[in-house]
Amino acid sequence: MEILSFEETKKLLLKYKLPFCRTEIFNSKEKALLFAEQIGFPVVLKIHAQKIFHKSEIGGVKTNIKNKEEFEEYWEEIQKNIEGKNIEGVLVQEMCGGNEIALGMKRDSQFGPVLMFGLGGIFIEIIKDVSLRVAPITKGEAIEMMRETRGIKILEGARGKKKADLERIAEMLVNLSNLSIKEENIQSIDFNPVMVSGSNACIADFRIII
Amino acid sequence: MKNIFNPKSIALIGASGENNTVGFGLADNLLKGKKKRKIFLINPFQKEILGEECFEKISDIKDKIDLAIIAVPQKIVKDVVLECCLKKVGAIIIVSSGFKESGNGKEEEEIKTIVNKYKIPLLGPNCLGIINPSIDLNASFAPLTPKKGNIAFLSQSGALLDSVLGMSENEDIGFSKIVSYGNEADLGLTDFISYLKDDIETKVIAIYFEGLKDGRKFMEVAKEVVKTKPIIAIKSGRSDMGKVAATTHTGTLAGDYEVYRAAMKQCGVVLVDTLEELFDSAKALAFLPKMENGIGIVTNGGGLGVLTVDYCSEAGIDVPELSKITVSSLEKNKSMGKVLVKRNPLDLIGDALSDKYEAGMEAMLKQKDINGLIVISTPQIMTEHEKNAKIVTEMKKKYPLKPVVCCFLGGPLVSSAVKMLEEKDIPNYPDVKRAVKSIKSLIK
Repeated sequence: MEILSFEETKKLLLKYKLPFCRTEIFNSKEKALLFAEQIGFPVVLKIHAQKIFHKSEIGGVKTNIKNKEEFEEYWEEIQKNIEGKNIEGVLVQEMCGGNEIALGMKRDSQFGPVLMFGLGGIFIEIIKDVSLRVAPITKGEAIEMMRETRGIKILEGARGKKKADLERIAEMLVNLSNLSIKEENIQSIDFNPVMVSGSNACIADFRIII
Repeated sequence: MKNIFNPKSIALIGASGENNTVGFGLADNLLKGKKKRKIFLINPFQKEILGEECFEKISDIKDKIDLAIIAVPQKIVKDVVLECCLKKVGAIIIVSSGFKESGNGKEEEEIKTIVNKYKIPLLGPNCLGIINPSIDLNASFAPLTPKKGNIAFLSQSGALLDSVLGMSENEDIGFSKIVSYGNEADLGLTDFISYLKDDIETKVIAIYFEGLKDGRKFMEVAKEVVKTKPIIAIKSGRSDMGKVAATTHTGTLAGDYEVYRAAMKQCGVVLVDTLEELFDSAKALAFLPKMENGIGIVTNGGGLGVLTVDYCSEAGIDVPELSKITVSSLEKNKSMGKVLVKRNPLDLIGDALSDKYEAGMEAMLKQKDINGLIVISTPQIMTEHEKNAKIVTEMKKKYPLKPVVCCFLGGPLVSSAVKMLEEKDIPNYPDVKRAVKSIKSLIK
């Protein structure tokens, strides 16, 4: 059981029209910095490795990096933290804003691919407010699935928050459903968080297990 | 399936005259239906069992055998299966255990290969058998034969089936078909569900299962069946959910039971928590039509009325206000007398006689957005339970599309009224919460 490489992940996300925050992988600080400047600060740095499942626990993630100086400092820090570990490279990623949601898939021994939707952050970690469906699903079923969670009200614009485009998320769920039916070697998927703002939705963190 | 549920001739291999054995239980149950079909008992060591001649082996029987039931020690099951196949029996039930369930999957596979080769359907091994009450067929070693009815019950566990049968005596539940489907070496749960889809005696299918052999196949079949018949299920083994490897959030959050719950919902199967709920809902679904959300509550006890509203609100059942028309029709009705507050729940007050029940029920059933009723009757000294029961049955006739469930409370004080209700296919529950949950299962 290992995490799919970044290049393969990217190919899959593009193939199944699953939008993700602009991300590239680097092993050289200079090239990484160039890319960061190109997409504009603030950016995120995080490691990508086949066998490291909890990257923030080993100090492999730095967010909200505001300028060149901070970038260089954090790059070196990450390099120190991962010394001796086998990694594919360090991802440089744009910072996307919005509400956090989580999408996922697990291949169940009885029912095959099962899809998950939930609100990100504390909703998923503490109150476990998620809903599940056996794939494949239609867009209508995806909407129904989202409406089963209690947290949906937040996406619908509770307390003056900007309303998220549920149709857009439903499309992503359908695309995830297609992916899970066709790519049988994939055991499970976590897109957590996916940043949602208005009609924009971007996967910020992805973990595909093969 | 015809050979299993309506055989004209049955051979029991492993019949026994010894009390308290599986072979005896089966022989005894089968012989109760001997007027309707031929029963052949087989045991090479006995000449006569329960007054019937005993054969040495199945090949000694000249008649054609529709169904062979095998209840011999595990070691010789395979040989007996082969003998049955050579005899060209119509179907086989293996009651004997000691196969896949106890780690002996190899022998089960071998048996499956044999029956598949001869194209003979097999139920079991490791099962209790089947019961078809409407034709006095009890091909099981269950301790009793339940009364006939419209509920089909399929159970993965044999012992649980026995306790359900015991329970059904008290709760006045009748069955169309009962199947203990065991290890599913050949015929499995999905085969029985598809069969029951077109079984005219079955109105609702109740299932107890621990796991499914092929979850996706089950969903596919169930989706089709629920278009014509409701399926209610209870699943054991939820505590397994912690076992999933925690490599992803999804893996942790989508535990076994959660996935089952989602899958059942998706294919239209109602998953319940308790056996009581399983049969309460099955009873309601077997007796009553489906309805839109919105119920009326008629009671002679205010407290129970409020409690019922609380349960309804928890269950997402609407309790609509009485319309102006309903209120004015109640006001004009002389029998309402002292009942001053006209609202839903309608409290007829403790001293209500049957005329009040009649007026209250009728007014509510006439209201458009009240699609069903819960009628509560507590035993006050003047309460006319039997008369109330009669009114309920009349209302059922008059408003056949609006289901009425009852909650006549008071144990022996109301037992004759409850009997009257159940005879007319009106479910009665000795607890308002159970009545609410059951009416919930009727809401489309």
